[in-house]
Amino acid sequence: MLQQHIPNRREFLQGAGCGFGWLALAALASRQSLGAPITPPLPHLVPRAKRVIFLFMQGGPSQVDTFDYKPNLEKLDGQQMPFDDARVIANTGQRGSQQRVMKSPWKFAQFGQTGRWVSELFPQQARHIDDLCLLHGVHTEGVAHGPATLFLHCGSTNQARPSIGSWVSYGLGTENDNLPAFVTIAPSAGNGGPRNYGPAFLPAVHQGTALGKAGSPATEATIGNLAPAGQSAAGQRRQLDLIRELNAAQLAAAPGSSELDAVVESYELAWRMQTNVPGILDLAAETAATQALYGIGSKPTDNFGRQCLMARRLCEAGVRYIQVTYGDNTANPAWDQHSNLPKHAEHAAAVDQPIAGLLTDLKQRGLLDETLIWWGAEFGRTPYAEKNGTGRDHNPGGFTMWLAGAGVQAGLTHGQTDEFGHQAVAGRVHMHDVHATLLHLLGLNHEQLTFRYAGRDFRLTDVAGQVVNEILS
Amino acid sequence: MLRQTERTTARGIDLLAFFAVVISCMPAPVRADDSAGIDFFEKRIRPVLVQHCYPCHSATAKIKGGLRLDVKSGWVTGGDTGPAIQPGKVEESLLIAALRAEGDLKMPPAGKLPQSVIDDFTQWVNSGAPDPRTDDHRARTKKRTIDLASESRHWAYRPVTAGPVPTVSQSDWPRSDIDRFILSRLEARSLSPNAAATREVLARRLAFDLLGLPPTPDELADFLGDTSPDAWEQLVDRWLERPEFGERWGRHWLDVVRYADSLTLRGFVFKQAWRYRDYVIDAFNRDLPFDQFLREQVAGDLLPAESLEERARKLVATTVLMLGNTNLEEQDKQQLELDVVDEQLDLIGRGFLAQTITCARCHDHQFDPIPTRDYYALAGILKNAQSLEHENVSKWLEIPLPLAPAEDEIYRRHEETLAMLQQQLQESQQELKRRGAGPEIVAVGALSGVVIDDAAARQVGDWQKSQYTKRYIGDGYVHDGDGGKGMKTLTFDPDLPETGTYEVRFAYTPGDNRSAAVPVTVFSAAGEKTIVVNERLAPPLEGRFISLGEFRFERGGQSFVIVSNEGTTGHVIADAVQFLPVGTGQTKAPPPAGGETTATANSADSAELQQLREQVKSLEQRVRAAQAAGPKRPTVMTIRERPEPTNLPVLLRGNVHQRGTEVPRGFLQVATSGENSEIPATEGGRRQLAEWLTRRDNPLTARVIVNRVWHWVFGAGLVRTTDNFGTTGESPSHPELLDHLTVTFMEDGWSIKRLIRRLVLSRTYQMSSTLRPEGVAADPENRWLWRAHARRLDAECLRDALLVVGGNLRPSRGGPAFPTELAADFGYVDDSNRRSVYIPVFRNALPPIYEAFDFADPSLVTGQRNTSTVSTQALYLLNHPFVKQQALLTARRILTGMNTTIEARLETAWRLVLGRSPTAAERMATARYLAEISQADPAQSETAWAQVVQALFATIDFRYVH
Repeated sequence: MLQQHIPNRREFLQGAGCGFGWLALAALASRQSLGAPITPPLPHLVPRAKRVIFLFMQGGPSQVDTFDYKPNLEKLDGQQMPFDDARVIANTGQRGSQQRVMKSPWKFAQFGQTGRWVSELFPQQARHIDDLCLLHGVHTEGVAHGPATLFLHCGSTNQARPSIGSWVSYGLGTENDNLPAFVTIAPSAGNGGPRNYGPAFLPAVHQGTALGKAGSPATEATIGNLAPAGQSAAGQRRQLDLIRELNAAQLAAAPGSSELDAVVESYELAWRMQTNVPGILDLAAETAATQALYGIGSKPTDNFGRQCLMARRLCEAGVRYIQVTYGDNTANPAWDQHSNLPKHAEHAAAVDQPIAGLLTDLKQRGLLDETLIWWGAEFGRTPYAEKNGTGRDHNPGGFTMWLAGAGVQAGLTHGQTDEFGHQAVAGRVHMHDVHATLLHLLGLNHEQLTFRYAGRDFRLTDVAGQVVNEILS
Repeated sequence: MLRQTERTTARGIDLLAFFAVVISCMPAPVRADDSAGIDFFEKRIRPVLVQHCYPCHSATAKIKGGLRLDVKSGWVTGGDTGPAIQPGKVEESLLIAALRAEGDLKMPPAGKLPQSVIDDFTQWVNSGAPDPRTDDHRARTKKRTIDLASESRHWAYRPVTAGPVPTVSQSDWPRSDIDRFILSRLEARSLSPNAAATREVLARRLAFDLLGLPPTPDELADFLGDTSPDAWEQLVDRWLERPEFGERWGRHWLDVVRYADSLTLRGFVFKQAWRYRDYVIDAFNRDLPFDQFLREQVAGDLLPAESLEERARKLVATTVLMLGNTNLEEQDKQQLELDVVDEQLDLIGRGFLAQTITCARCHDHQFDPIPTRDYYALAGILKNAQSLEHENVSKWLEIPLPLAPAEDEIYRRHEETLAMLQQQLQESQQELKRRGAGPEIVAVGALSGVVIDDAAARQVGDWQKSQYTKRYIGDGYVHDGDGGKGMKTLTFDPDLPETGTYEVRFAYTPGDNRSAAVPVTVFSAAGEKTIVVNERLAPPLEGRFISLGEFRFERGGQSFVIVSNEGTTGHVIADAVQFLPVGTGQTKAPPPAGGETTATANSADSAELQQLREQVKSLEQRVRAAQAAGPKRPTVMTIRERPEPTNLPVLLRGNVHQRGTEVPRGFLQVATSGENSEIPATEGGRRQLAEWLTRRDNPLTARVIVNRVWHWVFGAGLVRTTDNFGTTGESPSHPELLDHLTVTFMEDGWSIKRLIRRLVLSRTYQMSSTLRPEGVAADPENRWLWRAHARRLDAECLRDALLVVGGNLRPSRGGPAFPTELAADFGYVDDSNRRSVYIPVFRNALPPIYEAFDFADPSLVTGQRNTSTVSTQALYLLNHPFVKQQALLTARRILTGMNTTIEARLETAWRLVLGRSPTAAERMATARYLAEISQADPAQSETAWAQVVQALFATIDFRYVH
């Protein structure tokens, strides 16, 4: 009674957005469960990574206080010099505005075989420096959080576009019938909020599933509507049987509709999800040693540690795209130190151990070979003081992201900023290029991953984006 | 940093795209046989081109901006924007302009070439730009050329014409012309129409289609008992007049116009958007002619009005132009304005005309005959209307709503009272100041709110402490010594206890040697705002403070003030910054702590002064109270026509900083037949745009809405791509019927109700949705309408139906959707039990039932919702407390009935939830279930019945209209 024919992408595109062509496919989506691919997984290339974990440092950590060491700042600290400040240019068009160079309050040292510089903000990540592929020449669009955060997630500063996780779900589907392909842990309500994990015009099945939310303890994080309130599992199973019987009786009066069949079937899928997911999220199943590895149980690291450990468990369960947000719901979130740079230390202390723990754990389980970890934010920060004060403003023109794991060269440094750490000058990697590269590693050609909407084909990378071949392993 | 000369444009567009504005002139003949010229080219020009230009502009690498510089024809034709070089004309050659890097155009991106090289190029162009490089086969990049004459033959651009109504062989079947059009197509394919649906099914179908609600058991019984031949017609007419009709159909329109009550950005709420929502509902209920409806929305502010009420209504109509999900934080404000215009054009394009006009923002439309010129002709019109006021985070416009004199009087009186109080306050303050009142020195702890003294501010540069001028807070104040200008700042960074609005006050000691323009910047949740303070003048508040304004701060978010000495002349003084919560009435100072009283104690003041001070405080409090409690003058979100209309130039590749040739304002050429209405130079053009949209010879507008109505009534449009009538959309299945209906619609005075009435009275509408195998085999998608489409209840219908069945839908209509004090939509939960159309559409906080059941994305024009079947929907129906609650309430309704037998209760349950009696199979399954789970006393178990009702909610007969 289920549909026999699985349409290919072309057929799907012809049907999509045309009402009833879509219905049949929606039914198919349902049959293959929540988060299922509309098309069978069809990577364009040989995938190097099975999945991505994106560690989103919301607000914008400063590159020159973490991974991009610039001795020049120490030397010229306090001097007024002209800089092409992105905000000033956007506001007034003026270049070369006077700014006061501000040194980093943290000491840098060299680590690992590769001898790369890391500040004392990240002592634990520093121990993994040889695992990381540092991109020092990242640049992006948007001077303010709203535009830049949307650009980071959706490749557009303003228009409603699907999130990168939704594109991955659309392109690859899920590996697990009982789980969505795209899960976002503790997403922020601010700076685009749900748009950052929304499917926009892609089918709703590609919506990112939120697991908890920013500002709520990770111990309370769950997926919505999973737990039956005030009803035993056996009781609900019996009720589901009643639903099945009633629907069977009603279907007998309206036979032949694959859509209605799919609706009936969706209750069984829901039941399976509801039975499986809580186990996946149950961190008590982990050993004390593993929990300690992520910093669970220690105050500053407990929350983010739990979120990172959940990410690993989702990863094992076959989720394709997992985002973990370290942030909050304000308009000026977490790492956004406009007025008080030393506060970076608070955030660093919360994330450093969990991130290092995640790297160690994935490695020892052999998962790092098939999982790509992506670390970064919507932009970096200026090497000079904002308004001559005691913090740093946003800097979209050059900042650091890192990748680790499947398909990228461990220990590589790609790109560089100028001698102040302000603008990317070599090995420049635009955010579109980052997106293109991530898709490439997952086996998707960013120019072929398209969706026809409003009369034309859309892509994550718009009309731009180039795979950064230099960093591929 | 400084060496970085590449300009990263706002949209990541390569600057090489922007050669040339001059499109018409052909280059002068080049003396290709000029051997000296060729020699010069080979020696001085070609190497530079190879090294600096080929990487981005050659067939073997990239061809950015469509410009090739590896063959002569490359610069002759130029890129997207025309020729790059005008031989012999240096000043008209954009290549030279780019090399000189004088304007926005700077090439190469890595940095300006040496002056000697630029001189070489100048000389070369002057001498006619001799260039021996011939075309290879790839020389000309193929550019699309729009041919309006031939491309306007696409069906949607042809004039609307009513043809003859077809004759059919089964002549007793049709009840109307609609049926004849449908049947004739079916007969041509040897398909027969389905039999009529049962009257129970029909009533349910009609109720959801017209009202968006299930029929009540009484309504249903009345209709089923009405045996008169026109019972159906009467039911239709009755329901078309119900207020719920406008709520249902208004909501359809709200999808199209991407209606929302908030912005994603920072969750800003639109406090006045509901007025537009009510306007729409009212328009559908009053059956406002659709052409007028559109004109009001596009240009209501510019149309004549006969009464204040009409004036207000037409202003409210224009709110629609403001509802886009705009990123007010965009720092490049020119870009922002064009983004707003683009969004408005998408609304008008896809929403009203089913044309993807915005595809033509960066280049001519790739598929449809919409040149970029047309885009900017239309954009120019909209650019003449202002919708934002710019700040760091820009604000949308709200203006007072015109009011009837009696109502206006209420607000005027309040405003007068307030003004009077403020005047009194000011006088008292001045009096206090004159008498040197108040302790000269106060402790930080003696002040209310959160106070950061200069001593607690973070200093950059050398600030000197002073106690010279009295009337300071704490242990003195600081100054910059009138030196180190631009090098010194103070950051006042409080730890605010809670999210909310605060008045920020800045304290300084005045004097003649002070700076008259001290930049003080407040960083709040709304971004940053710089206030320039004249420190030569006495501070107006208590002789100490100047108010910097009211700002919203988020706990844990950005909340600080920077005082800078940049650009100042004279001493810059800072004493303290005070953050006073607004609306909490907390203006009284806490009693000074024992150890903190300062040298000049309050006791030194005379009783009279004390009294004056008390008076000031009390007046302050009254002003605040009046501001907080008094009636707020109603406002409307609207746009404002700019006083001096202008045209827009083509913006090259959509980049606001790359201006091409100016385009006179106008409309879509392909949809304009006959005379093109002129836009006078004195007008912005929106009024003419509204007229053009609703002209009878506009081939799109009426067709588009008729097709939408068909889609909403039947479940699929005659043109299935309701928002796209372009060449990439689908063609109409019944073009003659579409035109027939469109002509009738316009003749009927663009009446939506008459159109709907005509559709639902047809026999086509009343067919059953049964899937006959021969029909499925011949026409699986039901393109030819041999049956009715079974349709899913959408999110709102589902929610409303649950409330109706549970007996607790709150009967309230219109008005604000959320409490006025709400500042941001984050985490908002609506538990009002109002009809769905009245609960706020918050872009950051859509109700879970909306998220699960394919509510239209309120950031996008949506004429046609997705209908997905995903497990989250099942999870919602199985586990969400709202569903369980409605099930329980329904169970109570069932159990409080007179009937106490299971049989009777089953009957009631089915009537309430599904509008029919249970079948034998359903009875049996349910009775067995009840017996199993509450064996003791099955008929009495409320929980058991709630579970049964919830199971019914999960059945396809509840979730679908057949």
